[in-house]
Formats: sequence, structure tokens, C-alpha cells
Amino acid sequence: MTEGSAVPHAVSVLLDEELLALNRTVGALRRRNLPIESIAVGPAGAPGLARLTIILNSDVATVDTTVKKLHKLSGVRAAVTFPVDEGVTRELALVKVRAQHERYAALLDVIELFNADVVDEGADAVIVQVTGSGSFILAFIRAVEGFGILDVARSGSVALARATD
Amino acid sequence: MSGERLSGAQLLCRLLLEEGVDLIWGYPGGAIMPFYHALPEHPGLRHILVRHEQAAAHAADGYARASGRIGVCVATSGPGATNLVTGLATAHMDSSPVVAITGQVPRHMIGRDAFQETDVIGLTLPITKHSCQVRDVTELADEVRKAIAIAKEGRPGPVLIDVPKDVQNQQTTYEPARPPAPPAVPATPVSRARAEAVAAAAGLIAGAARPLIMVGHGVILADAYDAVRQLAEQTGIPVITTLLGISAFPESHPLHLGMPGMHGEVHVNRAIQQADVIVGIGLRFDDRVTGNTAGFAPRAQIVHVDLDASEIGKNVPTAVAIVGDAKEAVAELLRAVAPRRCDAWRHEILSFVRPRQETYRGDLSPENIVGAVHEVTGDRVTIVTDVGQHQMWVAKLYPYRRPNTHITSGGLGTMGFAVPAAMGVALARPAEPVWSISGDGGFQMNLQEIATMVQEKIPVKMGIFNNGYLGMVRQWQQFFHGRRYSATPIWSPDYVKLADAYGIAGWRVEEASQLQDVLARAHATPGPALVEFVIEQEANVFPMIPPGASLSEPIEAESVGAPGA
Repeated sequence: MTEGSAVPHAVSVLLDEELLALNRTVGALRRRNLPIESIAVGPAGAPGLARLTIILNSDVATVDTTVKKLHKLSGVRAAVTFPVDEGVTRELALVKVRAQHERYAALLDVIELFNADVVDEGADAVIVQVTGSGSFILAFIRAVEGFGILDVARSGSVALARATD
Repeated sequence: MSGERLSGAQLLCRLLLEEGVDLIWGYPGGAIMPFYHALPEHPGLRHILVRHEQAAAHAADGYARASGRIGVCVATSGPGATNLVTGLATAHMDSSPVVAITGQVPRHMIGRDAFQETDVIGLTLPITKHSCQVRDVTELADEVRKAIAIAKEGRPGPVLIDVPKDVQNQQTTYEPARPPAPPAVPATPVSRARAEAVAAAAGLIAGAARPLIMVGHGVILADAYDAVRQLAEQTGIPVITTLLGISAFPESHPLHLGMPGMHGEVHVNRAIQQADVIVGIGLRFDDRVTGNTAGFAPRAQIVHVDLDASEIGKNVPTAVAIVGDAKEAVAELLRAVAPRRCDAWRHEILSFVRPRQETYRGDLSPENIVGAVHEVTGDRVTIVTDVGQHQMWVAKLYPYRRPNTHITSGGLGTMGFAVPAAMGVALARPAEPVWSISGDGGFQMNLQEIATMVQEKIPVKMGIFNNGYLGMVRQWQQFFHGRRYSATPIWSPDYVKLADAYGIAGWRVEEASQLQDVLARAHATPGPALVEFVIEQEANVFPMIPPGASLSEPIEAESVGAPGA
């Protein structure tokens, strides 16, 4: 049942906002050793509900079976999946970059190119906030690597199916 | 009654009574003592003291499977709770509504590695349908009612409710349940998609030249016995019963073929490999049924009827899926399919039948033992088997004619299941004889429960197939590991003396000629009794599909040689 090529899929799960439901959901994913690229969790629109977004690089049959399994877990209210291409995917990253005086202007050029923001300035480093798809974030990180990256915190991707669906 | 002040422990008892529970299997300990203190105030709750918490979970499971109601087990925190784990995993794999209640250390001590503290929620997350820790007595009623509803609804399964000791001692006000409790999952109306699926299935059945019906545990759980028989009779389609589907279709019926899979009969597996349509009802196409899925039923389009949508397409590709209760789905199919016959196909399958060729020392064959049990008990008996060779022999040879009279640990394959589960079955069916049948390995895993049977007067008749080996593992060693019998020879005590030590009747049978007399006496003995069958040491279960092979590649007796050769 694993025919078909691996494609990045977003699995979006609406669950009770409690660690037990989150634990059960993540445990079900862990048990099947699925190729998970990112996990993000936060409050959903409605009170008492959380939204868990998983990016899975897997074939359609595996993703469908996974969603059906998640759907029947206690504490899971809804679970849907769509190929990442067919939705909007966004991730936020905070990147702490060395900012030496002589290269600061060059760094600002890169930041501007990626539509990123300097959200904190220290004596010899800045924290840059960048938003976009996972590959966009990765491209930004590569672009500032030469300046010296001190730390990276990525949120993991959140995703919604396109409004036209 | 409304507004009555109760402790959490008293409330727990009241909630169980409210659910119609009258029987609890358990073992007391520190963190569950308030519950045990409240128990004598509720004479409607009969408590059975087991000798090990694992047995409480298996007994509750056996009770649930035999009665169709929830089975309740209770244990203390820490080791009491961890001992339930095997029983809960068994119930989870076989869709049995077991409700486990565990004591927990007081709330202020949770997470501090307190005495007898364990994270039982974390331990049981993947093997329960639902679990919860009650954090305040005001949540207790809702949590218990919700957990029990989840255990019963849809595809049943075990739940665990963890109650800290101080919550059991908290005072609260009892409010009776507001009837009727709203269903946690709303019933789905018959949709157009469903009608189309039924029509598509009926079309496949009408056009099939070599159709089969395969039935599993879901048929028993949905009480679809009569509906499935009507479907078979209306269409003439031969019926295969999986291990947990045994007794979901009368074995005396001319359309019944037998069990498929790893130890299925050759003609059954050949039929599957040649079928063009397979209607699977309430089964999950487990690997022991399918063998290598790549070679499973290569010509067949599969119609899969199952209550659990996540089973559809999980193991085998499905042409038509009908998600829902087996009884309702089969009733819809019955209205949609035209009467037909499959005589030529059925006769073709019967031409595949191979006579059994094995011989046994003292003529004490599995056939003779199982046949004698049937002769003595008639069709009234429920047989509870353990796991291993005897399990396969009983599954293949016992002529079950009544629904749900064969109970075994199928999915998890839990050795030690039969003896405690049979206690649960016996109390669920007090008017009927109950036999547990185990091997010498599995019997020794939970034989301590004889004491429970004696103390509580639970009349289980225990049969032991003693071959001095962990027989199924030894068989695998013989076939696939060059006869290196590593750690499979197993010594047994003198079971007749063991029976005597527990104060029950016990017999040893070494020749087929003794069977009738001994079994008749065991059957007539009130209360528990034990019969040891000293069988051929190196007998094998034939045929056998090697693990990972397809159903077309059975090992048959002649290809391996005589037992012990």
C-alpha cells in the first residue's frame, strides 16, 4: 500500500487543547515511523481547541491511512490532508546572525531581499525574523550563513487548504 | 437521590452501578484503598479478587466478549497498573470494551516519583481507545461516563480511568446521569455514497464467477450472525471464518469452508487465491490471514465492510468500501443482491480438500481430544483458547454451531489469556459450561488463577495440551531454524497433584481410550476441574504458510516428514 511517490503533504489536525490529546496524536505518528518534516502546534480558532500541523513527505495512500487513524483518536476533532502545493504553508524563523560593523550593510541587503525584519539588535549580533514557506526560510538561512549564524529557532510550518477549495 | 453527598470512591461505585455493572475484577492496594473501602456499601457490585492484575484485565475482557457488556477491572497504582498492560493491549487488538480503573498517588505527589507511582496514562496511550486522569472529583462523573461511552461506541475497545487517591476521598454531590446520554459520535444517515457503494458491491457479487465471503470478529460484535447466513444462502457464496470470526457462521453449514491464512486449510487458501470477488465483513485482513499481501488474492476485487474507516485499504487494496455496522451493511446488501448460486465454484473448492495425514502416538490426536470435548459438552459450551498449536487445532477442528462460542486472543496472541479469560466467560454465561484450553506454556503463565476459581466458585474446566515444549515456537525452530530447539523444552509440574493442591479434581489423559470417561467426569464435576492431555511431543500444525510467503506456498505434512522424524 505504499505505491506512489513521496510528496510533501500537510496534515492538519484539530484537537482538544490538552497535552494528553497531543501526546496521543504524536504517539500515533511516532509508532508508524513516518517521514515527518515539521510539526507545529498552537491554539486553533475556537476556545479549547488546538491546531496541530504536520508536514509529511509521503505517498498519498500512507497519508490517507494516517489521517484515518488520527481521525479516530480520542481527543481529535478533525483531521484533513492536502498536498503542500494545494495549500498555503507558512513558517516563522528567528535567526541570530553575527553583525560585524564592516559587513552590516551587506547583511541588511540580504534581510531586505527576503523581506525579513531585524527584531533585536545587540552589540555584535542581530535577531532577524523571517516568514515564508519552509524552502524560503531555508534559502534565507543559506544566504546569511556567510555572516555567521549564532542560533536558529524555527516554528515549524502551519498550513491551510486554499480558500477556493 | 439528586444532591446526595458522596466521596469520589462512593461516586465511582455509583457510576458503575448506573452503567449496569455488577461484576468487577481486581486487586486492592494503597492508592485504590478508598474505592475498596466504599465497595462493601454497594452489594450490587460483586468483586472478584484475582491473584495477579493481568488476570483481572483478561477476565474483564473474557466477560466483555461473552456478554457484549463492558468488563471492569480495578488495580492500584504502580505495579498494579503496570500488570494490567498486557490485558489492555490484548483487549485493544481484539476490540473488547474493557474499562480499567486504576488508583494513582495523591495529586500533590504526582510527578515526584512517589512510592508506587507510575505514569499509567503514558504507558497505556497506544493500547487504549481512551484514557484519562481525573484531576478533581467534580470531573469524575463526566470522565467516567465519557470513558465508558467511548469503550462501547463504534468499534469497541479498552479505556483506562486513573483516579488519584485524594480525588477518591474528595466529597462531591451526586447528580444522576441525564437520560438519554447523547451519543459521542452522531449516527450517520445512509448517504447516497453509501447506497452507491452497496449497489457497486451487489454488482460485483452478481457478476462474480468465484466469489467468497470472509467474516471476522466484527460480525460477532455487530450480532450479524443471521444476516451473514442469509447473505450466504441467498447468493450461495462459500464462507471463510478468520480466527476471531470462528463461530460467526455455523461450521455445520454446507457453505462453510474453514479458516484462512497461516494455518488455514489448503482448500481455503486456494479458494482465496482463485477468487474473483471477496466480500470481507468485519475483519482487518491481518497479516496472519493474508500472508504476503503482494501475493494475496491476486485475481480478486475486494469488497470491505468494516465499522472502522481506518481499516479500509490499510492492508489490502479495496474495490468497494462500506464503512458501517456489519449487521446494517449486510442487511442493505441482502436487499441489493439478487438470489444466485455458486455450486460449480463450491464443488471446485471442495475438490481442493486434502485429508489430514498426521499420526499420533497413543492416538491422542488433536482431532480426538477436540472431538471428545465436543461430544461431552455438546453445542452449549464456550471454548476459550490460549495461544499456540492447541489454539490452531481447536480453531480448525471444533465444530462451532452457535455464535460467539469461540473466544481467543487473536490480534495480540497473548499466552496466558485462556485461564483468566475463561473465568470472565463463565460468569457471563453461568448456565453454560466453559472450557479453557491451553498449552503447557500458556497454562503456566496464569495458573495462579485456579485459586481465584476456587475461592469464588467459578466453574471453569481447564484442558492442558502438554507436549513438553513451547510447541508453536518449537515448530518454527524445526521448519526455519534447523531444529535448534533453543529454550523451547518446558518442564511442567504434576498437574494432577497441582489440581489436588488447589482442592479441585484433576486427571491425566495419555491414551485416546481414556478421553470419553475422563472428559465426562470432568464435565459432570461441579466447580473447576483440570484435565491434562499428554500429547505427541513434536506434533506440528499443518498446513503452514511460512511467514512472509504468499497463501499459494503452504508447507504440508508430507514435505516435512512425520512428527519427530
